[in-house]
Amino acid sequence: MNNENEFTGADILLKALKDQEVDTIFGYPGGAVLPIYDAIFGQNFLKHVLVRQEAGAVHAAEGYARSSGKVGVLLVTSGPGVTNVVTGLTDALMDSIPIVCISGQVPSHLIGTDAFQECDTTGITRPCTKHNYLVKDVNKLSETIHEAFKIASSGRPGPVLIDIPKDVQFAKSKYISKKDISFREHRIKAGSKNVDNNFVKELVNHIKKSERPIFYVGGGCLNSGHQASQELIKLVNKTNIPITTTLHGLGCFPGEDKSSLGMLGMHGNYEANLAMNKCDLMINVGARFDDRVTGRLDAFSPDSIKFHIDIDQSSINKNVKVNFHTNTDITLTLKEINSFIDSNNIDFGDNDYNNWWGQINEWRKKECLHYEQGDEVIKPQHAISRLYELTKQKDTFVTTEVGQHQMWAAQYYKFSKPNRWITSGGLGTMGFGMPAAVGAQMANPDSLVIDIAGEASFLMNIQEIATAVQYKLPIKIFILNNEYMGMVRQWQELLHGSRYSESYVDALPDFKKLAESFNAVGVRAKNISELDDTINEMISIDRPVIADIWVDKKENCFPMIPSGAAHHEMLLSKYDKENPENQEKGKVLV
Amino acid sequence: MSSTSVYPTPINAFKQSKRSVLSVIVDNEPGILARIVGLFSGRGYNIEALNVTVVDVKKNLSRITIETLGEEKVISQIIAQLEKLVPVHSATNLANLSESYEAEICLVKIEFENEEQDQKILNFADIYRSRTVQKRQNIVVYEISGTSERINKFLDDLDTIGGIKVELVRSGPIGLGI
Repeated sequence: MNNENEFTGADILLKALKDQEVDTIFGYPGGAVLPIYDAIFGQNFLKHVLVRQEAGAVHAAEGYARSSGKVGVLLVTSGPGVTNVVTGLTDALMDSIPIVCISGQVPSHLIGTDAFQECDTTGITRPCTKHNYLVKDVNKLSETIHEAFKIASSGRPGPVLIDIPKDVQFAKSKYISKKDISFREHRIKAGSKNVDNNFVKELVNHIKKSERPIFYVGGGCLNSGHQASQELIKLVNKTNIPITTTLHGLGCFPGEDKSSLGMLGMHGNYEANLAMNKCDLMINVGARFDDRVTGRLDAFSPDSIKFHIDIDQSSINKNVKVNFHTNTDITLTLKEINSFIDSNNIDFGDNDYNNWWGQINEWRKKECLHYEQGDEVIKPQHAISRLYELTKQKDTFVTTEVGQHQMWAAQYYKFSKPNRWITSGGLGTMGFGMPAAVGAQMANPDSLVIDIAGEASFLMNIQEIATAVQYKLPIKIFILNNEYMGMVRQWQELLHGSRYSESYVDALPDFKKLAESFNAVGVRAKNISELDDTINEMISIDRPVIADIWVDKKENCFPMIPSGAAHHEMLLSKYDKENPENQEKGKVLV
Repeated sequence: MSSTSVYPTPINAFKQSKRSVLSVIVDNEPGILARIVGLFSGRGYNIEALNVTVVDVKKNLSRITIETLGEEKVISQIIAQLEKLVPVHSATNLANLSESYEAEICLVKIEFENEEQDQKILNFADIYRSRTVQKRQNIVVYEISGTSERINKFLDDLDTIGGIKVELVRSGPIGLGI
């Protein structure tokens, strides 16, 4: 039968991607996806980015999604192709990043026979995706792909995987377009569209009554879209309530604004953590009371009434019990709060929280992010501060790897807009930043994209430099090179008697020569006098650049709430010593 | 008056494990059982009993009943995460309902050697109103239903009869809220 309304599975996939307005796909070919690669060969709406290892594809898709607000898409082959993306899928699940992963599978009749490059893809990826599919019938392919995109981007976003056996890629069926599919609501779980008016009323009443309120804002605000950020700024300006954000909330509210207390948590600001500890009203906007944020739970913000806005019902009362919650989308809820305040002419003029701000300004005088920059060795904090000062005029996207450099970036680089800060928070995946920068640069070709890296993390996905070079992506890799896995070394210093077991990174490559061998550009700053020139040179080069910044090898990241300690038990410098009882308890935590 | 233990026992040392029966309505599709079971096994929780059957052929729905032991807080978190699974329509902890009914069915095959044993078996079967499915010379098969506790008691009583051989199968509890 040769019906012209029928298409192969591979062609159906491409039609569906076009329908979903996908313009970029990150991938790596292999036996079980050859029919799809053949279909890609014969089209021109979809730009395929060939990565050097599948882990690069999944982090690039994450970077693309985070920096654009769209769904990131990747394509990998069966077996090792798909096992290589397991880390990235878990990363996207933890950090609520919408991605769709298409994987090839051995032909249906070979499934379960230990065929070449076969693995139980849906079994392996079940706990690390929001949902996954094995499509055994080509007639169900269109619907499955459209549902996958809907699920990835609805409610609390996350990764979705579609496993397509090779015979299904060849089999023929009709294509069903997105508009012809009616989704079943219970499967999409988009969250309520109705604002809880009672929640809004209670919240406004509590704001009026409270003396020490605080906004605690997380990545959920980011995922709700740019408008959520706009509504949040309006609300903060109206009420004069201080605001602190989580690692992923950075950028939802301008970091340099007077109301911003910066980041909270393990390496958060002194004033932010103390304000959380002492507040009488906490308004949680899309954050999940993560253990990096709360510190010891029984001492977490003991005297506050807690409000929680989160689209994910399972995040409510999970770690911390709250007094009021709503599962409605943040944008809708914040909008309603603002219009409730306006339409009822509620004036916060008399209640400027003067005493509260007075207390906060006292805490600010501690200058918890202060560091001493000498005249020779570059302090890593200073490297980030200078990078910020020299790039803040541009619309810059920053990705990071994981470790000390990541925390310094969060502390010293200020973000004024959402989606400019792309980091691996929940899973803490070393090797995330460079491929994520590839993805961010694909989505934002005219912007400056910088991966703030440590030399150890950078080595984990170093192969993706070749991807950046091939596609002429002028990403900048800004390495704070201290020759150590700095965060591991810091914990060993604090908790394991400075026994630096295996945390020294010996036999490092010469990063400048390494860049050149990839046909990228290498620059280096060995001391403070070379720092600004090196940063400026890096920015001015319209090609991928590796900047090797030699920093103080022994610097530690402060402030720090050690594991097992509470917000008010923060260490501000290496001269602060931890309560030994907490230290023993904290040692067994992560 | 009870005497004080010579060893002080911190109350918090014993996390309160409670029996829960969860009832979950799902789309009947491959992988759904694995998704659900994963939420338990990933936490090191054991499933004590499990029952899965299609309950609506037209709508392609199955009801899954799970008996587990665990801390109440963890069970609530599991329920919240069950409800997030794409094919799940609803998840309920029967213990949280004001009114719910529970039943289990058990088939018991008993091999006995003498008249005395036969009489005792017959006596217990009568007390528990179990139905005789099959009776041969030395073998009898009963069907007994009711709460799991009732079946446990019946089996405990059978256990008091020496020298008989018992083989059994249980459906696990099923339940319905009103």
